[in-house]
Amino acid sequence: MLTKSITCGLDGVRGYPVSVEAYVSNGMVAFDIVGLPSAAVKESRDRVRAAMINSGYEFPFGKVTVNLAPADVRKEGTSFELAVAVALISGKSSKPFQNLNSTMLLGELSLEGRLLPIRGALGMAITAVENGIQCLILPCENAKEVACIDGLQVYPAETLKQVCEHLTGEKHLQKQETLSFVDLQTTRPIRYDMREVKGQAMARAALEVAAAGGHNLLMVGVPGSGKTMLARCLPGILPPLSYEEALETTLIHSASGELPADSSLMTERPFRSPHHNTSMAAMIGGGAKARPGEVSLAHNGVLFLDELPEFQRNTLEALRQPIEDGFVSITRVSGQNQYPSRSMLVAGMNPCPCGNYGSKRKNCTCSASDIKRYLGRISGPLLDRLDIQVEMDAVTVEEIETSSLQEDSLTIRKRVIAARKRQLKRYHGTSIYCNAQLDQQGLEHWCHMEPTAKTLLMQAVDRFDMSMRAYARVRKVAMTIADLQEHDRITMQDMAKAIQFRNVDGRYWK
Amino acid sequence: MELSMEQRCLLWLSSAEIPASRAASLIAAFGSAQTLWERYQTSDCPRIVPKSKQVLDDLYSDQKMSALIRQLDEKHVRLLFADDPSYPPLLREIKDPPYLLYYAGHLDCLKKPCVAIVGTRTPSDYGRHMAKSLAAGLCNAGVTVVSGLAKGIDYAAHTGALSVQGCTAGILGSGINHPYPSEHTPLLRQIAHSKGVVISEYPLDAAPMPFHFPHRNRIISGCCVGIIFVEGRIKSGGMHTVTAALDQGREVFAVPGQTGYIGAEGPLAIIREGARLVTSAEDILEDLALSPLMPAKAPPKQHPDLSDLQQRIIHALQIQPANIDELSVSLSVSPQDIMTEISIMEITGLIHREAGNNFSLSHQ
Repeated sequence: MLTKSITCGLDGVRGYPVSVEAYVSNGMVAFDIVGLPSAAVKESRDRVRAAMINSGYEFPFGKVTVNLAPADVRKEGTSFELAVAVALISGKSSKPFQNLNSTMLLGELSLEGRLLPIRGALGMAITAVENGIQCLILPCENAKEVACIDGLQVYPAETLKQVCEHLTGEKHLQKQETLSFVDLQTTRPIRYDMREVKGQAMARAALEVAAAGGHNLLMVGVPGSGKTMLARCLPGILPPLSYEEALETTLIHSASGELPADSSLMTERPFRSPHHNTSMAAMIGGGAKARPGEVSLAHNGVLFLDELPEFQRNTLEALRQPIEDGFVSITRVSGQNQYPSRSMLVAGMNPCPCGNYGSKRKNCTCSASDIKRYLGRISGPLLDRLDIQVEMDAVTVEEIETSSLQEDSLTIRKRVIAARKRQLKRYHGTSIYCNAQLDQQGLEHWCHMEPTAKTLLMQAVDRFDMSMRAYARVRKVAMTIADLQEHDRITMQDMAKAIQFRNVDGRYWK
Repeated sequence: MELSMEQRCLLWLSSAEIPASRAASLIAAFGSAQTLWERYQTSDCPRIVPKSKQVLDDLYSDQKMSALIRQLDEKHVRLLFADDPSYPPLLREIKDPPYLLYYAGHLDCLKKPCVAIVGTRTPSDYGRHMAKSLAAGLCNAGVTVVSGLAKGIDYAAHTGALSVQGCTAGILGSGINHPYPSEHTPLLRQIAHSKGVVISEYPLDAAPMPFHFPHRNRIISGCCVGIIFVEGRIKSGGMHTVTAALDQGREVFAVPGQTGYIGAEGPLAIIREGARLVTSAEDILEDLALSPLMPAKAPPKQHPDLSDLQQRIIHALQIQPANIDELSVSLSVSPQDIMTEISIMEITGLIHREAGNNFSLSHQ
């Protein structure tokens, strides 16, 4: 006797439909799963058997063969178990199971027959829609995650028994209501507000410009100068996620199991701050199954690297390509995966090993060669990708006590959104979406300066001995400042500010 | 280079880095360096460290000594023996004058009155400026500026002298082939090729050992009539040179710094103990009775073409260096406006950005 059901496997962030075929024949009592199952899938035999028996169903007597088609793709994970159990139960059931060929079944089983949450539900739901499947049954914990998908009836279930009763029509499951993305976006208070950042006018301005133009940012400052605090404020001043962005970001988080149970689409931009002992594979993505790394988890958000020189050199160097291209391709023997990685890179570092070089309040105890060695860990090509570089000194307790409240994140965000809109309008019809992405030709085409601004820039190039790359960087940043000020051409004031954000390397990397 | 037998033997001793005091007692025991060479294998030389002994053994052949002399010639490094008429007479008077100096460049500059400028390797902007302008002022008056070719104050002093095409002497604590820090090799070359001289007591390839430097400091103060301590802590190399200078009876000057600033600790301490306070090169020329060739001091710079805000920024920075936040509070102007003005002033060279985003007035 042959029965079928439909489920889904996960390849990278995307799903692929898997059809489960169960066949019970006379012969030696056995239970086999074929179709390239991994160890976790093979183990599921015991779970499926126990779950069926504990839910009050009989396990078929005889030689049981379950095939997962397509049979030439290696099956990973535990999302197939519900479908396997349902296929087996439907064969012996007195009541016929309905709609099995238009319902996708997802879920891991516990021994007592409960449904456990799975990884990558969002990607699988999208696959279901793409393959014309109308119904999706999945664990309750994953329901909200897929609730934003149009054209799919989602039925969250708690136990195997509920699923079977729903399919036979005895007792229907409660349908999950579709959540609209707009509803999700109800203004949650911003967790880290710029209002609480005291002093640091220069760094605040740098953060705003970075957010407005999508520029990568380097903060060099003594310990306790507020680098981490500022970086955490960045998601709050970036424009809110669009539906497409939210979908992309949630997909990655869902596929890598980073999404907390019961969460819906992500509405806040991710903020990732990997520790500096992070390996290259964890940063870029990789491992035997080519999982997404930190740089992809920060997609559409912020990747914050604190203590930049402490990172392994190869980890940092490997970041260059994803930052530039906005995606990572990871190739392993088992296949190739491409993950998006369009995040803003924010780096924090101390000016020297003891941390006090350049501070007015503390004395640096490092020798010149110590400092040189410390800074030498960051390569020039990486620095070239950090458009805005600022130095910060610590703020004293009195300054914190006396200073009044600063501008809040929402006000800044309004300006950032306006500046981003100007950019989108300007680059309409191209693949560019913010100033940071401009290349040499783009700069020639779109960067318009007033003559006074040009003169000032020329003087600066001469005075500070700027390289070609530094020159391009200053112009990009000046364009963003002009966008924030709603200037069509870069004025002298815009240019003067941009020059303040130029590379620190004048003093540090020479 | 033609050397007498005695000179060859002194070079032999020097190549083994036998210190001046040790060499003097050996020569006294044997009568001359040449006798030491002749009787080297038969009699034992007391108290020579094994490393030096090894070199003495290695070089103990006429061919090897000739090869060494050829090598010196190829590198254009010349030798100055203590009995040479051009040996600085002041240096000869110190307690243990070097019996052999290696030099490259123009030895004539040591015939002029010499003044040393010493101080920390990590000076403030002010210290660097003082070292530079004092060096330039002294050179303009025909004085040779002596320093140690290190980073910081030494570098500022040498470049200050070179900026007015003056004479400067750099005294190394390592072999001339092996300057410390190695980044200063171009500076060394510049000094030797201009009117200056680079001197070392150590053989051509000697490494910069930590104990060389205190020893080297006695030569810096030894060949000078006076030394200027610009910046440094109480426990520092500069302070050591000051002590050496006092032992040798040289005039000691100090540049006053701000109290509480750690780099001003040393100069302020010696001023309290009676060192001469220095504000300009004229002070030194006057104290050392050297006639100045310099024009009268220029009046403080006026900047009539600056905007009102720029004038106010300059005024604020005259008191002390400040960052944008501090300027914004003290001038009650928005940080954004300050940033713009600061940038323009930085580009025109009026002010100068230091580490930690602090701005100070340029000393140009």
